[in-house]
Amino acid sequence: MVNFVKKYYLIILPVVFIVLIAQVDKYDQLTTSGTFGAAIRLAIPICLAGLGGMFSERTGIVNIGLEGMMIMGTWFGAWAAWMYGPWYGIMAGILGGAMFGLIHAVGTVTFQVDHIVSGVAINILAAGVARFLNVVAYADQPTKSSTQSPRIDGEVGDFTLPYLSGGADTPSLFGYLQDLDIPFISDLGGLLLGATSNLSYISIFALALIPLAAWILWSTPFGLQMRSVGELPTGSESLGVNVYLMKYIGVMISGGFAGLAGAYLVLESSGIYREGQTAGRGFIGLASMIFGNYRPLGIFMGSGLFGFADALQLRSDDAVHGLLILISLILLIFAIKQLIEKKYTNASISIALSIAFLIWFLSSENVPSEFVYFTPHITTLIVLSSASQKLRMPQKIGQPYRKGELN
Amino acid sequence: MTLAIDLSKISKSFPGVKANDDINLKIKEGTIHAVVGENGAGKSTLMKILYGMLKQDEGTIKIFNDEVNFSSPKDAISKGIGMVHQHFMLADNLSVLESIILGMDKASLKVLNKSKYTEEINEITKKYSMPLNTLSMIDELGVGEKQRVEIIKVLFRGAKILILDEPTAVLVPQEVNELFNNLKNLKDSGVTIIFISHKLDEVLEIADEISVMRGGKHIDTVDANTVSKTDLAEMMIGQNLPTPPKREQNSIDEKSLIINNLTAEEENGRKAFSNINFSINQGEVVGIAGVEGNGQRELAEAILGVYPVESGEIILGETTINDLSTRDRREYGLSFIPEDRQSQGLLMDVSLSENVILGKQSSKKYKTKYHNIKFNEAAVNSNVVIENFDVRTPGNETLALALSGGNQQKFVVGREIENKPSLLIASQPTRGIDIGAQSLIWNKLRDARDNGLGVLLISADLDELIGLSDRIFVIYEGSFVKELDPEEASPELLGSYMTGLKT
Repeated sequence: MVNFVKKYYLIILPVVFIVLIAQVDKYDQLTTSGTFGAAIRLAIPICLAGLGGMFSERTGIVNIGLEGMMIMGTWFGAWAAWMYGPWYGIMAGILGGAMFGLIHAVGTVTFQVDHIVSGVAINILAAGVARFLNVVAYADQPTKSSTQSPRIDGEVGDFTLPYLSGGADTPSLFGYLQDLDIPFISDLGGLLLGATSNLSYISIFALALIPLAAWILWSTPFGLQMRSVGELPTGSESLGVNVYLMKYIGVMISGGFAGLAGAYLVLESSGIYREGQTAGRGFIGLASMIFGNYRPLGIFMGSGLFGFADALQLRSDDAVHGLLILISLILLIFAIKQLIEKKYTNASISIALSIAFLIWFLSSENVPSEFVYFTPHITTLIVLSSASQKLRMPQKIGQPYRKGELN
Repeated sequence: MTLAIDLSKISKSFPGVKANDDINLKIKEGTIHAVVGENGAGKSTLMKILYGMLKQDEGTIKIFNDEVNFSSPKDAISKGIGMVHQHFMLADNLSVLESIILGMDKASLKVLNKSKYTEEINEITKKYSMPLNTLSMIDELGVGEKQRVEIIKVLFRGAKILILDEPTAVLVPQEVNELFNNLKNLKDSGVTIIFISHKLDEVLEIADEISVMRGGKHIDTVDANTVSKTDLAEMMIGQNLPTPPKREQNSIDEKSLIINNLTAEEENGRKAFSNINFSINQGEVVGIAGVEGNGQRELAEAILGVYPVESGEIILGETTINDLSTRDRREYGLSFIPEDRQSQGLLMDVSLSENVILGKQSSKKYKTKYHNIKFNEAAVNSNVVIENFDVRTPGNETLALALSGGNQQKFVVGREIENKPSLLIASQPTRGIDIGAQSLIWNKLRDARDNGLGVLLISADLDELIGLSDRIFVIYEGSFVKELDPEEASPELLGSYMTGLKT
């Protein structure tokens, strides 16, 4: 137990803080099932994009084109869902993203284009292609528009755990716990209820991909080869690994994940394709991948944090105010950690920021509404940049590899 | 005795060069066969052909009397050929187990059977007494251990023929002994070993037969027991073997560098080096011997101003330079030959005439008063370096990456010496280059010393240290443990101080 706490205190302490802060009535939205449910829905597209980034960057290809691949996912997802139904939308979203992944792979692997250049090109190209397709595909619709699709009908259906969360008209244990109003227990009830009720099948599919991705990368020969390619392409080649193929597959899986993220946005949150819908989530996914240290669980935590903060700002301005004291406390923990490690410069920066947030918290009743919208970004940035101290990116990331260049 | 390898009439051309010219080579099973030659003699090309990385233009390869036609290393591996490259093909971020089993299975989605593989690896490590912890990450291992991983990696693939490319270049003498013991064990259990090197002493010690290559041609194959070092050297370069000749001390009693009580700490609180005291006179070479990672790199970087110093004093000429930036230190006459020419010494994608500016990019030498770079000046100076240091290149507009390693190194050394420094830090100045380039660099360093330059020489090549230095300090775990006169120092003696066997 002690070892467990020592190892994971950076996760445990913030959770404890959240629960404590949530005991104040004004901030009780911090831990309700509604907040957690929304957090998961908001986190999934970012998590998917992050996983996509991971597959590409693990093979050594920087994928800044995630955003563009996600745009393709939104457009193809909406179009196929409108034509044939939501599950076809999911399929089409994945394929659309993977197609742009293929373009990125051709550019970076075969033609050795700089990865950033190719990625930026993908982003620009995707925006243009989406608009073009939109005009062409919906030309004879009464609602035709260059920036929107018609509304998509058809539900994927959702799922609530029976007995525990009250699915299928059974009693809800977690709901009962949440209503008990006992610190920690009711908060935990809220978390579990939010995580297990009204989950659409697409969400379940998406969440299942997280352990699946980890299993593929760390437990199968395919995954080992994939990781080795980003670390040491020449060595891998000499051991019979098909480096180009691995890179192609990695970038295409990456595109597929980003496309799925896009389709998820369309089908789960808006029911319609809109231009600019991705709103930089591809880039946030990339950030969650970096802070998650190129590991699925880390990416899930990072995107979960963003989703949580995003859900709060949507649901309650008051609760956002509670975030200020949370950030202040978290920064304080890092300051102490850095002091112990004798990193005095870092520690003093952390302390200064911590005090600044504390003063802000004490001297105000509310976070200004202009700022509320921005809180998820700043929270994620501060927490993750302090938390991720030992980043380790694939050794040969971003470097071109030419076959037969062994020395 | 059967032939493990029978190469006949192998030729391979690259644009402008005939890398291998009609090579016939026969290697007997269960022997250690050395292939020696200067850099550029065609050893590497031949081994790449043998390992399926390159395709020969002409000629046939027979492995155990079977004619083979390799199109990739995979084919070579399946025929029982394994190669240990000079630069280890290991990823820091993988475990020992993962590094060894990489590529064993097809890229499928079934579960890796890690326990079965671990067992098989342990069997091999036991059989050849090469202990390894399969769970360690590669970046936790030392150089010798990494090499062991590489050897086990190829044995695990059932290699019966082992190609070792310059295996001792990265090892200290004690590690070399261990490697040689391992190789003898392997030979006794029937493995055929091809040992590529340009260190003749080692080759004579370990090999049964020696094949010499020069200029893409196979000169001869000789019995290691009967041939002499001089004969080998003559075959290899067509002239006598250069050794750094010793000479009497004639340094001037004016200090070029004084180091007082210098101490620096690593990030984790361990001392990188502590209480270092020494001085270098003008016209004197002071050598530092040490196993890599004992603080010599940090010491050089501290003098250069790259590594933060905790306490102590660095005096260059008559100026205390502790608080000066690296740029200012260079202005005061410091020059530096870095140990890794490709990542620290040159911009590989840039022409020689621009590379000559590096290190002086902010000095008046190459800057007009409007802060433009004097490219004409640079072009002239690069030609001076190319000429004086015999850098073989089509011209000064050639990109650095187009030069061979030896010529790159000559250019770096030339640039630093032509900057007319008062102190030169030379870190591994001749690592991994051929004998011709090596002897030129030795001569140039000696000339510069005779003209009053102070040199701090850090080298893993102990013969080089003994031959060039006027005094040698041995650094062990961050402290100078011994000062030796090169007259009385031998590689074995240095080695025992370097590893802490003697204090």
